[in-house]
Formats: sequence, C-alpha cells, structure tokens
Amino acid sequence: MARVRNWQIDREMSYWYPENRPKRQFAAVFDTNKCIACQTCTLACKTTWTSGKGQEYMLWNNVETKPYGFYPLGWDVKLLGKLGGQKWKGSRYEGRTIFEAAEGGERVHGWRPEEMDYAYPNVGEDDCTGAKLERGDFLTLPHNRWFFYLARICNHCTYPACLASCPRGSIYKRPEDGIVLIDQSRCRGYQECVKACPYKKTFFNPLTGTSEKCIACFPKIEMGEANQCFVNCIGKIRHAGFVSRPEDAREDNPIDYLVHVRKVALPLYPQFGLEPNIYYIPPIHVPRPFLHQMFGPGVDHALETYRGAADDPDLAGLLSLFGSSQYIVHRWKRENDSVLGFDEKGDEVVRVPLREPVHIRQAWDSARSIARVNIP
Amino acid sequence: MRSLTALLLAAGVVAGCAKPAAAPPVEVDAARVTTLPAGPADAAWKSVPAYTAALLPQDMVEPRLLQPSTPTVNVQALTDGTSVAFRLVWTDDTKDDLPGAARFVDACAVQLPAAASANVPAPQMGEAGGTVEISYWSAAWQAIVDGRPDTLAAIEPHASVDHYPFEAASLAEGSKDQKDMALRYAPARALGGASRPAAGKSVQDLRAEGSGTITPAAETRSAGKGVRDASGWQVVIVRPLPDGLRGQPRSQVALAIWDGSHGEVGPRKMRSVWIPLALGGGA
Repeated sequence: MARVRNWQIDREMSYWYPENRPKRQFAAVFDTNKCIACQTCTLACKTTWTSGKGQEYMLWNNVETKPYGFYPLGWDVKLLGKLGGQKWKGSRYEGRTIFEAAEGGERVHGWRPEEMDYAYPNVGEDDCTGAKLERGDFLTLPHNRWFFYLARICNHCTYPACLASCPRGSIYKRPEDGIVLIDQSRCRGYQECVKACPYKKTFFNPLTGTSEKCIACFPKIEMGEANQCFVNCIGKIRHAGFVSRPEDAREDNPIDYLVHVRKVALPLYPQFGLEPNIYYIPPIHVPRPFLHQMFGPGVDHALETYRGAADDPDLAGLLSLFGSSQYIVHRWKRENDSVLGFDEKGDEVVRVPLREPVHIRQAWDSARSIARVNIP
Repeated sequence: MRSLTALLLAAGVVAGCAKPAAAPPVEVDAARVTTLPAGPADAAWKSVPAYTAALLPQDMVEPRLLQPSTPTVNVQALTDGTSVAFRLVWTDDTKDDLPGAARFVDACAVQLPAAASANVPAPQMGEAGGTVEISYWSAAWQAIVDGRPDTLAAIEPHASVDHYPFEAASLAEGSKDQKDMALRYAPARALGGASRPAAGKSVQDLRAEGSGTITPAAETRSAGKGVRDASGWQVVIVRPLPDGLRGQPRSQVALAIWDGSHGEVGPRKMRSVWIPLALGGGA
C-alpha cells in the first residue's frame, strides 16, 4: 500500500497505488434540496447506456429516498455498520477508511450485494412522510417525519475502490478527465469491484461476463457537453464540471467555487476514503447527526452558507446556472443581475438572470369575464 | 484336522494371489497414445493411473482465498506427441453453473510452462519472462455448449423484459444493422473481450506472466468437456502442447479448482504446486 493525500479527510491515508491525479478531474455538484425524485435522470441513463441484455437490473444513475431508500438494499448502512466507529476531529477523519480497514487477504473492506438486493430499486420511496398524527404514529422508526432524495451516479473517485480491488488491472482512471472506466476487453467478471465499491456503482453483467459501470457519458464530456442525467434533470439540481485540488481552486470555476471557496457542496461519505467527486449540497431540513455521518464535518457551514444564498448574489447566481446549459460551464461570472457561463474556449454558452421575473395572472380574466383555470 | 489343513492351504492360495497395493503415482504420467480421448467417460482413461494433487488456497496475492475448500483433485493425462489430454476429477457437492450478482461458477484450469527451462516459472501464473499457458474450463460455458440458451431467461427464468432497442420491429432480425446495434449494447462482446470463450467452446486458452497478467491466447486451440455426477465434476481438457514443450520428455503441470458456491473466482481459488509431468517419452 502507498501513502496518499486525501484532502476530504484532511490527512494521508493508505491506498493500493501511489497518488496519481489526472490532468483535470470530472466532478459535479448536486443540490439535494431541488431533487423531486422524478427519476428522469434514471431513465435518461437507462435508455442511453443500459438497455442491453444482462443490464436489465442496472441503474448507473438512481435516485433513492433517504433514510430508508437504498439501491442496492442497504448499500451504505451495511458498510457503515461493518466499518465501525468513524470519528472526526475537526476536519480530520480519525477512523479507518475502507482501504485501511481491509482484512488480511483483501485489498478493500467491502461486501457483495446479492441478486435480491437489487430487486427493489425504489424501496423506501417517500417513507417517513406525514405530520404528527392525532393518535400517534402507526410505526415508530429512528428517523421520523423527514426524508430527502439522494441522486447517485459513480463518483469517479480520486482513489477508486473498484480500481484498487481489480486483480487484473482492468479498471483505469483516464488521465485527461479522471473518469473511471472498466476495460471491457480485459475484465473477466471477478466482481471484486462490485464488492469493493462502497457506493455499489459497479454491476456484473451475467451475459457478457464482465462488470460495467457509469462512464460519465465520456463521449459527451469529450465534446464539452454535460452528461445525459444532467441535461435531462427537470429539477436542474446538477452542475457538471471539473474540480481542482483545494490549493489550486479558482473562484471562476463553478465547481471549485461551490466545493472549495464557499464550501457549500460536500462529498458523499468522505470517511470511506475514496475522495469521491460528486459533491452534494445537503438537505436543509434533515437532522444534523444524520448529515454529519453522510457528508462529513462540513455540513453546518455548508447549510449556513446555503441558507444565506438569498442575500448572497454570487452564490445565488451560480446556483441559478445549474441545469441551464447543455454545455459544461468551465468558468462563470456575475454581471449585476445576470450570470454568465463560458465553455473551455471562453465563449459564452449561457446567460441567465439572477432572479427570474415573476408574472402573476389574475384568477379572473375581466376581458373575457371568465375565471382562469390552471391546467397541468 | 483335514479340514483345517484345507483351510490353511486355501488361505495360502489367496494370499499368494493377492497383488500388493500399487504405490500411488508420484507424478502425472501422460502415456503415449495414438488417439486422445475427448470426454471424461472415454474407456481410454480406465487404465491411466490417477495422480492425486493436493490443493492449497491461493494465499500469495490479494485477494486471497482464506478458507480452504476442495482439498484434492485427481488428474490423469495422455498424449499423442502433439497434444496432451488431462482428466480432472474432484468432489463438489453443488453444481454452480449460473453466473450472476455474487454468484460464481465452478471451474478448473490446467497450467503448463510455455517452454522447457531449467528455471521453471513461478507456479502461480508464471512470472515476467517465464510465461505459462493455461487452459480454463468453466461450468457456465459447458452448460451453454450443452444446450442451455445464452439468454437472460436461462439465467433468470422469472425475468420479464418489455423491450430491447436492438429488437425493435423496424430492425430486421439478423440484419447487419440489427446485429451492429445489439453489439453497441454489449461492448464486451463487441470487443471480443477476455470474459468469454470462442463460440462453441467450454475452454479458453490463456497466457500469463505473473499474477494479474492473464490474457486470452490469440486463439483457443484447446477443447474440453465436463460432466457432473452427484459427487462432483469430471472434466477433460485436450490442449496442444506449448511450442516450447514439443519433444520434451518431461515438464510440469499445475492445476486450479474454483468452487462457485464457496465464492471462488479469479485469484480466490484452490491451486496446486507444480507437479512433475512425464510426456510419453517425448518426440
């Protein structure tokens, strides 16, 4: 094992290979507060990439209701239980990552979902809803009366567990954009990556005999366009781009601004140690202990900042760029009440108002003497 | 007294006729024959001594097999001077031939050095500069050769699928457009990947120069057939001698067994050390 720097846990850690960061790293920010779990992203991915034989059960993109939704079943809580105590001291994680917790003979501390674990991809949907009932709850659970939607794709981690676990070296991280891929000409379907990935975003295809995973729509990324699950998101919760290391962060890079400058977007289970590159703006209404476990110690600052966005034109402006262009926005800036996005060449690809104008139609149409009806 | 004498005489006759138990073979002896058997039930195997190879867990490289499973495999061999046939028989209570999520298949492999050398390659998949040639048989592939459809329905009988884009009515079944589109949804097949044997084969030829380097040979020239009874598997693998072993009177062979229901796959396997292999006197 090599020693590598993981900024998300603010320390060095053990990893199977030496640190070897790509020239730039594909990354994204998901705003959980905007997601309505319409699953349009799921279907966009499904119809684009996993309509083949042997891929029927695969959802490279899924949206699950937290705390009781999982795909596959129990993907996170099983590992959290196995991993034991996960203590933070300030920004530094003092527990063990899944690489450091690997048992003898293993490369990664993992577990293998079985077939039935994939059978109910929308289990737990909207569980824990409802206001306080007059005669009390029918069912009492540890997390009552809150839920949120967690959209998930492969995190294209800086330290991928799938890559570390493959005994054949069939998994690689592209130097040009950090996208993690399984070489379909080399994979022999050992499913070690399925066992190792804590996010369970690699899947075994029984008809090709290989494991497959989210490819971050790399043909689109290569053309400067955002991924299918991003451009089809009707809630506009996602923003694609590239993230820098903290010391190289640029304010005009949208991902850097949200992750490093304002620290409003956080990694998913950073304590696992993979330095995942999909960042989440946490939900504002969820009990903090739950969020601390899921997104690490930056939750309080992130939510305080996010809640202040209404009086923060830069942050609000950048959030309004989410989902507003089919192109990847490499740079952004605010000019008074407009927010501009630029592609890699510096050409403007999108311009949105800081606040959308509001038009109110009166319920009574006096010109026609008729009541207006909202038609869905 | 007369009857006692007769009894003692009879006992003496019996004792004189009993052969001493044959010593177990100390190597795999591939006797020279003109025609190699193609299946495990071939009568030619009846007179071939079986070497019992002790198996040990692969515990040298991660991921390791920490819990031993199949303790031994009986191996017989015959050669016609250009090819060598191995018959492997091992105990396995369960038939595992359906691949799936966290579901693995029974398998075996025979490994030979690619060339005769005083420095035998490392027994675990060879080493840099010490190539080994491997013939890998899989119960899943055998099931397909034996007639199980290579379809989702064969693996998941209760699966229901509405539609595959490459089976749309607008695409003529079997047309080039239809086949090309189907391949786009199965990149591993389109690339002729390492995960499947050639059509109609239950065996795949591979080469390796150390752990993690196993690569399909340019062409699979081996053939194989596996059958099962209540106690386990009997598999015959017939493979050309590696070019570097042609005419050699002796070499080595190493074996590996995977028990699918024990979660064995890839490096998680039971394996032998190098076993001396007599090749019918060479050329």
